[in-house]
Amino acid sequence: MALSRSFVLGQHYPGTSAVHQSGALVKLVSTIALMIGVFVATKTVQYIPIVLLLAVGIGVSRIPLRFFARGLKPILFLIVLTVVVQVFFTPGTVIWQFWFVRITREGLGLAGFILCRLVLLTLVSVLLTASTSPIELTDAVSDLLKPLSHIGVPSAEIALVMSIAMRFVPTILEETERIIRAQVSRGARIGEGSLVVRMKSFIPILIPLFVSSFRRADDLAVAMEARGFRVGSPRTRYHARHFQSFDAFILLGTAAALSGVILWRLFL
Amino acid sequence: MSIDLKNVDYVYDSGEPFEYFALRGISLHIDDGAFVGIVGRTGSGKSTLVEHLNGLLFSTRGDVIVDDEIVSNQRAVLAKVRRRVGIVFQYPEDQFFAETIFEEIAFGCRNYGFSKEQVDESVHKAMSIVGLDPERFLPLSPFQLSGGEQRRVAIASVIAMGQKYIVLDEPTAGLDSGSKLAVLAELESLRQTANVTVILVSHNMDEVAEFCKQVIVLDEGTVAFQGSTDAFFRDADLVDRTGLELPESYRLARALKDCGSTLTVNECSTGRMLDSLRLCVSEQGGA
Repeated sequence: MALSRSFVLGQHYPGTSAVHQSGALVKLVSTIALMIGVFVATKTVQYIPIVLLLAVGIGVSRIPLRFFARGLKPILFLIVLTVVVQVFFTPGTVIWQFWFVRITREGLGLAGFILCRLVLLTLVSVLLTASTSPIELTDAVSDLLKPLSHIGVPSAEIALVMSIAMRFVPTILEETERIIRAQVSRGARIGEGSLVVRMKSFIPILIPLFVSSFRRADDLAVAMEARGFRVGSPRTRYHARHFQSFDAFILLGTAAALSGVILWRLFL
Repeated sequence: MSIDLKNVDYVYDSGEPFEYFALRGISLHIDDGAFVGIVGRTGSGKSTLVEHLNGLLFSTRGDVIVDDEIVSNQRAVLAKVRRRVGIVFQYPEDQFFAETIFEEIAFGCRNYGFSKEQVDESVHKAMSIVGLDPERFLPLSPFQLSGGEQRRVAIASVIAMGQKYIVLDEPTAGLDSGSKLAVLAELESLRQTANVTVILVSHNMDEVAEFCKQVIVLDEGTVAFQGSTDAFFRDADLVDRTGLELPESYRLARALKDCGSTLTVNECSTGRMLDSLRLCVSEQGGA
């Protein structure tokens, strides 16, 4: 249980808001566009259109800010490191100096810019994954890949592999915990001792895990075939959804934010 | 010496909005050398309770005491407790990883620092307790056995460590009826010959009636009954309230009573019940 709970980034926060209910493909496209926008911007002020749209999205989603803060935690070290490097090692107008340490106006500006970039990228992706279930997300990726099937890319199969993998992550985590409990009860000490001993101590966990995963895969293949699954035959969706007004709002908002950033960069 | 739980609570996600009491004020006592059943409907807290007994989980409140040792998260205490309490989890054959059955059973013994001779002796003894011929089976891979044989090897891999208390979570699930009875009979003989305390978690009330003298009944994380198995199954209302079923033998006894039969049967186990029924019938036939 502890293991499955410690995954934060990429976690789903179920809800019924307009953001949750809008199409996964729309949200995915919008997220990609906003990320492009983040990289297009060359000055901190140019992030304003993106920040505005993101604020509206977060507000409408009713996902607590605490959840977004948790999403930032894994990249905290990266943020601190880059900010420190930028602050201390950017040449320019010196505003504060002590021995060999010097802080420049340009350094502060650049640090702030990079900080905003990293935080925005993370928040945008957390909003996507929090408001969209993993299964919806893989469906969206398969929709996105669909045009490629004309040039021989097996997009439907790739999507199926991805959604099966997602579906079994919690199952396999649970299985791992079960096996750890059993081996610990047989006196196994996991992750103790020297490196070699520690590596060896994982064998009694990994082998049973492989065995059960292969068995599960076999069972799943049989169950799918028994229910008429054939590779390459066209599939329909159980939950077919149609374009909604909020989808249009997201797309228009994204287009506006992205063109705002581009225009700002080009003309101001 | 015994296992005692004093007012044990276990709360999942304590303090969070979705906190959930898996165990609530559990107090119980398990005597040395007993064959105790733990029963209760799905979600009643059986598995959570079992994981407290060797320190896989720690109580949120209250104490779990194994032979005067209060179970806690200290390494020395945990080592002692795990040395005394062995657990055979559901589908224990899922934990197999070794190349031979010998290695599989020796794993636990080696973890507890047995000498080479001790490992050898314990493995052979465990194999004979579960009724598998050591000469034939020990060099085989555990993956090439039948389901019943795998289950026995898995049980042997725990009892080889020679722990005082053996907890088994549904050890007969998925076995054919012959293997079921054989596995339980082996545990009973282990109890008698080595004075091992056997704690059996089961959904199968016939098994419980047959083998467990005492029973602990859980209902929604609390102890609904604790005492003799016979007393529990005689209280049909309580059995019903806790979401359990009467064993075949008790159902037959009730059915006989309801139709006003003069036949009386000893209800405890299916085997003994059939014997007493046969006796009654032959007496009446003689009259």
